Amino acid sequence: MWPGVGYTLVREPSPMALSHAFVRELRDIVGREALVTSVEGRLVYECDMHTLYKGVPDAVVLPSTTEQVQQVVRLCRRERVPVVPRGSGTGLIGGAMAPQGGVMVGLNRMDAVLAVDLPNRCATVQPGLINLWLTRAVQDRGWFFAPDPSSQMVSSIGGNVATNAGGPHCLKYGITTNHVLGLELVTGHGEVVRLGGAVADRPGYDLVGAAVGAEGTFGLVTAVTVRLVHAPEAVKTALASFASMVDASQAVSDIIAAGIVPAALEMLDEVIIGAINASLGKIYPDGAGAVLLIELDGPRAEVEAQAVDVAAICRLRGALTVSVARDDAERAVLWKGRKEAAGAVGRITSSYLLQDAVVPRSRLPQIMRELAAIAARHRVTIANVFHAGDGNLHPLICFDEREPEELARAAEANEELLRACIALGGSVTGEHGVGHDKAKNLPLQYAEADLNFMYRLRRVFDPDGIMNPGKLLPSHPACGEGFRASRPALPTGAWV
Amino acid sequence: MAVTARSIGAALAQLGGAASEAPGALAAAAIDGRTPRWVVTPRSVEQVAGVLALAHEEGLAVAPRGSGSALDLGRPPRALDIVLDLSGLTRVIEYSPEDLTVSVEAGVTAGALDGRLRGHRQWLPVDPPGRTPRTIGGLAATAAHGPLRLRYGTLRDLLLGVRFVQADGVVTWGGARVVKSVTGYDVPKLMVGALGTLGVLVELTLRLHPRPATETTWLATFPAADAAAGFVAGVVDSWLQPNRLEVLTAAALRACALPAAAVAVALAVGGVEAAVREQGSVAQGMAVGCGGTWTTAPADFWDRCDQVFAKAQDDVVLQVSAPASRLAATLGAIERRHAALTAGADAMVTGCAPVGTLRVTLTGGDPDELTALVEGLREDVGPGGGAVVLLAAGTALRERVDPWGPVDPGALALMTALRDEFDSRHVLNPGRFVTAL
Repeated sequence: MWPGVGYTLVREPSPMALSHAFVRELRDIVGREALVTSVEGRLVYECDMHTLYKGVPDAVVLPSTTEQVQQVVRLCRRERVPVVPRGSGTGLIGGAMAPQGGVMVGLNRMDAVLAVDLPNRCATVQPGLINLWLTRAVQDRGWFFAPDPSSQMVSSIGGNVATNAGGPHCLKYGITTNHVLGLELVTGHGEVVRLGGAVADRPGYDLVGAAVGAEGTFGLVTAVTVRLVHAPEAVKTALASFASMVDASQAVSDIIAAGIVPAALEMLDEVIIGAINASLGKIYPDGAGAVLLIELDGPRAEVEAQAVDVAAICRLRGALTVSVARDDAERAVLWKGRKEAAGAVGRITSSYLLQDAVVPRSRLPQIMRELAAIAARHRVTIANVFHAGDGNLHPLICFDEREPEELARAAEANEELLRACIALGGSVTGEHGVGHDKAKNLPLQYAEADLNFMYRLRRVFDPDGIMNPGKLLPSHPACGEGFRASRPALPTGAWV
Repeated sequence: MAVTARSIGAALAQLGGAASEAPGALAAAAIDGRTPRWVVTPRSVEQVAGVLALAHEEGLAVAPRGSGSALDLGRPPRALDIVLDLSGLTRVIEYSPEDLTVSVEAGVTAGALDGRLRGHRQWLPVDPPGRTPRTIGGLAATAAHGPLRLRYGTLRDLLLGVRFVQADGVVTWGGARVVKSVTGYDVPKLMVGALGTLGVLVELTLRLHPRPATETTWLATFPAADAAAGFVAGVVDSWLQPNRLEVLTAAALRACALPAAAVAVALAVGGVEAAVREQGSVAQGMAVGCGGTWTTAPADFWDRCDQVFAKAQDDVVLQVSAPASRLAATLGAIERRHAALTAGADAMVTGCAPVGTLRVTLTGGDPDELTALVEGLREDVGPGGGAVVLLAAGTALRERVDPWGPVDPGALALMTALRDEFDSRHVLNPGRFVTAL
C-alpha cells in the first residue's frame, strides 16, 4: 500500500455510457418515474457517507417489486453492465457508489413490513425498510429488532444485511447476521432464490450466513426474515469517567473478565467529549480523559446486581466519577451524546478517515497507547468513540480535505494503526464492512489462499462479475481476477 | 498418473503421519459397510494438507472423522478410500479467558475443552446429547446443537474463525480471532454443518461465554401438548431470560426417571440468585395458569438428558423442525406417525421449544415403516417450511429414504455450484451431503 494512494476516487458522470436501447429497456421494466438518467439526478447517488469516493452511476432505477429487480439484473447481465445496490446511502465504506458506472438499484421503495410473527419471534420485511421502523412496528407489544447501528433512524435493513452491520448493543445481542433467518436474493445469475426462512435447521449449506455481509456482491436482497427479540425487564445505563483511555480500557477488560456481558459498553475520548459537550451542551464531565458508557439490561434483579459490580470495578480502576441514569430521560441524554458523536466531530475537523478495526478486548490498553504514538508521529488528531466491549475501535483520523498533504498523513496513520491492530490478532473491520474503502486492506488479514477462496465463492453467486464490482475484495493487478493459492508439495517419485 | 495402492500407502505414510492398512483397523473404520483402503491419523495441519493434496491428485475419496460419533449422519458414502482421523489434532492453540475466546485444533473434545474452561468459569455453550467425547470439529461440521441454543445460539453464532484444508490440500483461513469481524465473506458460517464437504476443519476459534454462577432448573408438567405449548408461548412473550426451555414427552420423561406426565417443559435460568428466584416464581405462575404442575428438577437433570438422549446403538434419531408456534401440532404429528408403527419402542421427543426444532429418538422398528414415518412427517411439516433430517439411522434406512430431505431448487443449484467449485473431483465425503452432493 502506497501511503495516501487509494484514499480518494472520483468517477465523473458519463453522459453516453449506456445505449438508448438499454435505457429504454430499463424504463420498460421499472417505469419512467422510477428511472433516473439526468446528470443532476444521478449526481445525488455519487457517494455514500464516505464522501472521498465518488462514482456516479450511468442510470439509477428505483424498483418496487422483486420481479423488477430480477429483470434489471437479467438485463444488466445480458449486457455485462455493473449493478450497484443502494439502500439509504448511509454506509461508511464507499459500498453504495459506482466506481465503474453501471446501473444503481435503489431499494428504498421496497420498504414494507411483509409479516410480523411474534409467536415465532420473527418478521419478514423488504430491504428498504428503515431499521428503526421495524422496532417501532413491534415495540408496543414488547419486542424489538436488536441490530442498532448509530444510523438506525435512517439506514435500511437491506443495507444492514449487506454490510452485516453492528451497533452498540451487539455486544450482548450479536450483529446483523445473528438476527437474519432468511433471505430472498436475486443472484448475479438473475435468479430469485429463497434461502433459509423462519424455520430453523434446514438441511444444506448456510447460504444465508454466507450472503449476509456480502455487500451486494452475491446479488440483491429483496426480502429479509429477521429474528425479533423480546424487550428486557429492566435497563440501566451508567457513566464512568476516567483520567485516561488506558484506565478506561483496563476497566473494560475487567468487566468482561468478571463474567459480565453488558448490553453495550462504549468509550469516548477527551476529543469527542469536548466536541459533544460543545455541540450538545454539557452532557459529560469536563476534564475527563475518557468516558465509559455502560448499559446493562435483563431481569431487574440481575441488572441491579451487575450495576453494583460494574461500579465497583470502575472505582477500583480509578474512575473519577461513576453515575447511573435515574430514568429514561437521563438515559436518553447519555446516549444522545454517543449516537451523535460523529456529527459533533464536525466542530473540530472538516474531514476524517473513520476506521473500524478490532483488537482482542484485552489488548485495548496496549492499542490505545500505540494509537497515541501513531497520532503523534504523523501529526494528526485522532478522536475515539467506539464499542470498547468487543474491542471494536472507531478512531476518527482528522484532516483538512483542502490539504492533500494532510490527507496523506492521515492515510499513513490509518495504515499504521490497521497494521498494529492486525499484529495484535485483530480484524480490519468489525461492523462497517469493506466496500471500496477497505478492499485494499484485506491482504493484511488474509493470505492469498484465503482471498482466493473468497473470489471463487463470489463467482458462484455472480459468474460474470457484474454485482457491485470493485467492492469487498481487492483487485490484484498481477493476477487479474484472483490470487494464486499454493498447494502443498507432494513427495516426488514416491509413487509414480 | 496411475499408481499402485502400495505406493499410495507409502506416500500417505510419508505425508500424513500414521497411515494404517491393517485389516482390523480398516474394518473398524468402515462407514456404512464400506471399508476404507487406508486410515490416516495426521498430527498436524500440514499432514492433513499433504493427505488431501495426494487424494485430490489421485481422485481418492476421503471421509474426515472426529470422534466417529456422527458417521451415520447423511447418506452412505458413494466411495471411500481414506478415513482421515482427526482425533490426533488435540492442541488448544490459544485460550484467552479475558477475551472470552479460544482457538483449538479440530480434534479437541468438548470434554477436554470443558476442563480447560471450567477454572475460568467459562464455557462453550453447545450441548447436544452425548457431547463430551465429541470433537469440536465434528460438532461444527455437523452443526450439532442442544438446549442451550436458546440463550447462546448455535455454533453458527459461536464460530469466529476457522482454518480448513480444501479438497486439493490448500490450507485456508476464514473469519477472525476476535469476537467481532465483518472482513470479507463470512466463511466460517459456510463451514458449519457442511459435513466437511467444502473443506476439512482443522482449527476453530470460538466465542465463549461466562458460565452462570448458578443455574436452577424447574420442570413444568402438563396433561396435554397444547397446555405445554401455551406455557412456552407465555415464556417466549415475556421478559424472562431462560438459558434453556426444553420440551420432553412422556417417553423421554420415563427414560430420565422423572415423574410421569403427558408432556413436560424444563426451564433453566442462570444468573444472580435473586433474579433466578424471581424468574422461577413468574414462570411458575404461567405454568400453573396453563394447567401445569411445577417442581424443581433434580440437580442432575441436564446430565441425565445428556446421557439418556445420546444416540445409542440402533437408535434412529430424527430432527424435526417446524414453526415454534405449531409445537403442539408437531408433537401431535410425531405421535400419530409413530402410532402407525407396529414394532419398536416408544418415541422419545425433546427439543428447544421456542426454536421449534425437536429431536425424536426411536428404537427398533421396521425399515419400511420408518421410511413411511419419515416421509409422512415431511408431508406434515414441509408445507409450513419445516424439515425432517435423520441425525442417525442404520445404513438400510438411509439408503431407502433421503436423510436430508428436499432442498429448495434455487438454493440447491447454488449449493451444487459451491460444491463443484471447491471440490470438483468430489474428494470430500462424496455422496453424503444433501441430494448426494
